[in-house]
Amino acid sequence: MAIDKNRPTYAVEAIPSDITNSVFLGNPAVDNLLSCVIAMNAEMWATKRRMKVLESLLAKKGISQEMIEGYVPTAAETAEWEKERDRFIELAMGPLANDGFRSIGTGFPKR
Amino acid sequence: MIGRRELFGATAGALVMAQTLKADAAAAAEKLKPYTAAPKGSYLPRGTDGRLARLATLDLESHQDFTLGFRLMHSKALRAASAAAFERVLEREGIDPLTPLTGEQVRQLVETEPGINIASRAWLANQQVTWKTLRDHFHANADAYLSEMEAADKSGPGTLELAPSLDIPTYARHEIHIQPGGYVGDPFAGHIYHYGTNSFYISVIGHNEQDQVHKGSAARLPLPEDGKVKRILDMGCGIGQMSVALKERFPDAEVWGIDVGGPMVRYAHMRARRLGVEVNFAQRLAELSGFPDNYFDLVTSYIMHHELPGEITKKVIDEARRVTRPGGVYYPIDFNSGGTKMPARMMYSRWYDHRWNNEVWSFEYHALNFTNEIGERGFNVVKNAKPALPGFGVRHSIKV
Repeated sequence: MAIDKNRPTYAVEAIPSDITNSVFLGNPAVDNLLSCVIAMNAEMWATKRRMKVLESLLAKKGISQEMIEGYVPTAAETAEWEKERDRFIELAMGPLANDGFRSIGTGFPKR
Repeated sequence: MIGRRELFGATAGALVMAQTLKADAAAAAEKLKPYTAAPKGSYLPRGTDGRLARLATLDLESHQDFTLGFRLMHSKALRAASAAAFERVLEREGIDPLTPLTGEQVRQLVETEPGINIASRAWLANQQVTWKTLRDHFHANADAYLSEMEAADKSGPGTLELAPSLDIPTYARHEIHIQPGGYVGDPFAGHIYHYGTNSFYISVIGHNEQDQVHKGSAARLPLPEDGKVKRILDMGCGIGQMSVALKERFPDAEVWGIDVGGPMVRYAHMRARRLGVEVNFAQRLAELSGFPDNYFDLVTSYIMHHELPGEITKKVIDEARRVTRPGGVYYPIDFNSGGTKMPARMMYSRWYDHRWNNEVWSFEYHALNFTNEIGERGFNVVKNAKPALPGFGVRHSIKV
């Protein structure tokens, strides 16, 4: 949300750091990937922590940890979840299967 | 002795000190004053945890929980891996690990060492997640947070003096700790700083969510010999944690907190008001404080000087001398200083923190012998005094 320019904020122009231009790992793409991994882990932990809140609240409503751990999904649920699992893994891990051997200066193999 | 980096990663020596401080903080925590009844205009959607307003969303709180946890992991596993890589580099280059080196010498040694650099990059990336998640939240909910500050600006307890026409010096405009906007450039600089720095202490000193570290430091500050403490100044007060702790220790004293950052003192005032603590906050420069001569019995600052150019530090000491009464105490809390060469690993921590955590002026600070500078500027520096913050510089100074 943009702040109304007429609303005093007492902020002035700062001198920005050049942190996003720094290269520690020899290749800026590798630096960026590591930053992505850490950010993704922050999001993942936020999700797991929310699950913990949900489980605590459920427990207070009579749904215990044992019930959650012991839950047996129906056949339809299993099929649906497996589909979702495979989609998730393909999205998150699929690029590992990329067969990279062309340098970026290489021309089209076929036109 | 604690260096800047040790606020970010524990060392074996620091751990001993940490235990002392944790015990000390636990004792202080028992006396902490939580928010009792939020004043009118407060924005506390998830209530409070002691004296800390809970972050407004569960996800935001969880993001900070993650980055805090990552710091802990980094201070152990990644730091150890980096140390091992350092040993290999030094061995390869035939350098004794205890040989004092300059920052530039160390930088050249490690520039292409992945085992060291991955730890550095990971630490910075985590730091960026801390700031980005906080900044995004406060800006996305700008109206609520601005309204809360507006409601507090003109109401007490305590007062707030903002100076929109103050010429903010260039040296103060940097994004210290890579905090977006730094201390002067974001309307929510105080909010962002408060929640972002809570995790700074964790791997060495312990928790500070309840201001335990500030309470402990305020409790250890020495008194003038005559015991009179009617007026206190906290220079570069930031979000006012030290100022509030001082007022709580000296409830009858007139306490002032000054800082160059308008958003910082604005947040400081709002928070002190929430706590029901009467402090006067003002947007002023430490080197040009505007107070009368000999006005204060006790003048302090909390980890400000290493954020200042060396020449400004000297001016601030002169200003502190001017406003401290004869016999009054000046005790600026900050890191030990006075070294431009250190063993390679320690110097790497200092250099990296300076260059990439954007501690722009820290090398100038360390090039000074801060304690000697105070002694040369009209103060008697008490020998064998006790530290106000264990592991930091001891600067119990009395105005001649």
